[in-house]
Amino acid sequence: MPYSAEINRSNPSCFLFLIDQSGSMSDSFPGEIVKKKSVGVSDAINNLLQNLVIRCAKEEGVRDYFHVGVIGYGTSVGPAFSGALAGKEMVPISEIANSPARIDERTKKVDDGAGGLLEQKVRFPIWFDPIANGGTPMVQALNLAKTTVGSFIAQHPNSFPPVVIHITDGESTDGEPSSAFKELTSLTSADGNVLLFNVHISSNPNATTTAFPDSPAQLPDQYAKTLFEGASFLTPFMRSIASEHGLTVGDGAKGFVLNADLVLVIQALDIGTRPSNLR
Amino acid sequence: MHLSYSPMFEPKYGSTAEEYEDAFCPQDSSEGASINRFAIADGATETSYSGLWARLLVKAYCDGEMDSADRIPETLESIQKRWKYQLTDRQLPWFAEHKLQLGAFAAFLGLTISPDATKDSVGTWDAIASGDSCLVQIRAETVTASFPLNESAAFNTHPVLLSTDPEALVLAMESLKTMSGDWQSGDRFFLMTDALAAWFFREHEQARRPWEVLRDLEYDETKPFSAWVTGLRNNSEIRNDDVTLYRIEID
Repeated sequence: MPYSAEINRSNPSCFLFLIDQSGSMSDSFPGEIVKKKSVGVSDAINNLLQNLVIRCAKEEGVRDYFHVGVIGYGTSVGPAFSGALAGKEMVPISEIANSPARIDERTKKVDDGAGGLLEQKVRFPIWFDPIANGGTPMVQALNLAKTTVGSFIAQHPNSFPPVVIHITDGESTDGEPSSAFKELTSLTSADGNVLLFNVHISSNPNATTTAFPDSPAQLPDQYAKTLFEGASFLTPFMRSIASEHGLTVGDGAKGFVLNADLVLVIQALDIGTRPSNLR
Repeated sequence: MHLSYSPMFEPKYGSTAEEYEDAFCPQDSSEGASINRFAIADGATETSYSGLWARLLVKAYCDGEMDSADRIPETLESIQKRWKYQLTDRQLPWFAEHKLQLGAFAAFLGLTISPDATKDSVGTWDAIASGDSCLVQIRAETVTASFPLNESAAFNTHPVLLSTDPEALVLAMESLKTMSGDWQSGDRFFLMTDALAAWFFREHEQARRPWEVLRDLEYDETKPFSAWVTGLRNNSEIRNDDVTLYRIEID
């Protein structure tokens, strides 16, 4: 049965984030007045990396259940980590844990136990900074993703297949991406094909927010349909996580969201990266 | 009442012995009547210091700290404090600090076997459990009791576990289960953490007699526990997890 491989230290899996850093990512998020898309996406990814590290942490250190990469595309296409990891394509999660670019201090509100809220300072590690410049060379980015993921599979042929989460707000400026999507998702480990999520955070007022549809019928344009067609089907486990988030998904649901607000981006990241079989 | 008992365990494949996060009590095989409390616990992989939490739970049970049902909430609070005490004043990296705040979780099962006041060949037992570690009682080649779960399908859900986190512990307390029964000379009890218990019920559902296999393990040099578990794993008959078996026989 595909997508059932155990994820352990001798047989790790990987997550690759493919982030649109084009100029339009400096626009504000749908439904938000202040928060830029680029800032919302980098916060969501830093938060996710933090959660992944904590999930893999044990008393003796961080267990390398995953390798993680972040590819940015805008003015250029390449690895997008900041700080000590800059330039690295894919690193074990323990290296992520030990090498944040910096640790910011942020405040969060917590229950004071007497019906009120207290502000508590928390450490917020940063690996990835917001960038918004240049065009949208999506095809080039997908080709780099294919090389990166292909090399992971060559080293870990029996792994739970790599999950690629692609977050974009715009149309490709270096060609039609359909065949690049197909080439990426045609890569397989012994446990199944590479899983691709397309998360679209366009602010197009003519499109309604859609999460994990099983048909392209309601999609507003060819571009959304291309992203839908390129995305993988959700695995049964991913569908169960989507249900935990209160989303209704059918058996043929695809890893595609349209006009995602920040909450939906975070939900999609969780659905795509929640481990099902850690040992 | 004369008891013979022996614990057996095998860390999950790919882990070292130090990374084994189940726990059991008493620690050594023996026989006699002086020991009558037995416990196993299964620390959750996704939490840190869960092996320590599991060890503290089984020790407290075997020391008699949970004998009085009314005092169990206070006892668990006291064990929580012991867990925290062992981890204070440690300089931890950011991720370890976060993880520690989430607390440790463990499934737990305790069994107390009591003699009858007048007869040597019968008596009673009491068990307490949270989560998916299970006991089965075998009499005359039949399963006479299984607790807290009794079928392989019951292992597919996320069980509520005992936690070092006070809020999560309140939930676990509500789901704490107890069971009592009687025993006769010749009865056997098997205490098993979840992977082995799930195997046991699957075998039993297919009209096989898994207790015969468990009965013979280690007695016979050709049937060491470790090699047997490895064989089950290689045949995908058992999930790769820490495996613990406590076998108790009453003469």
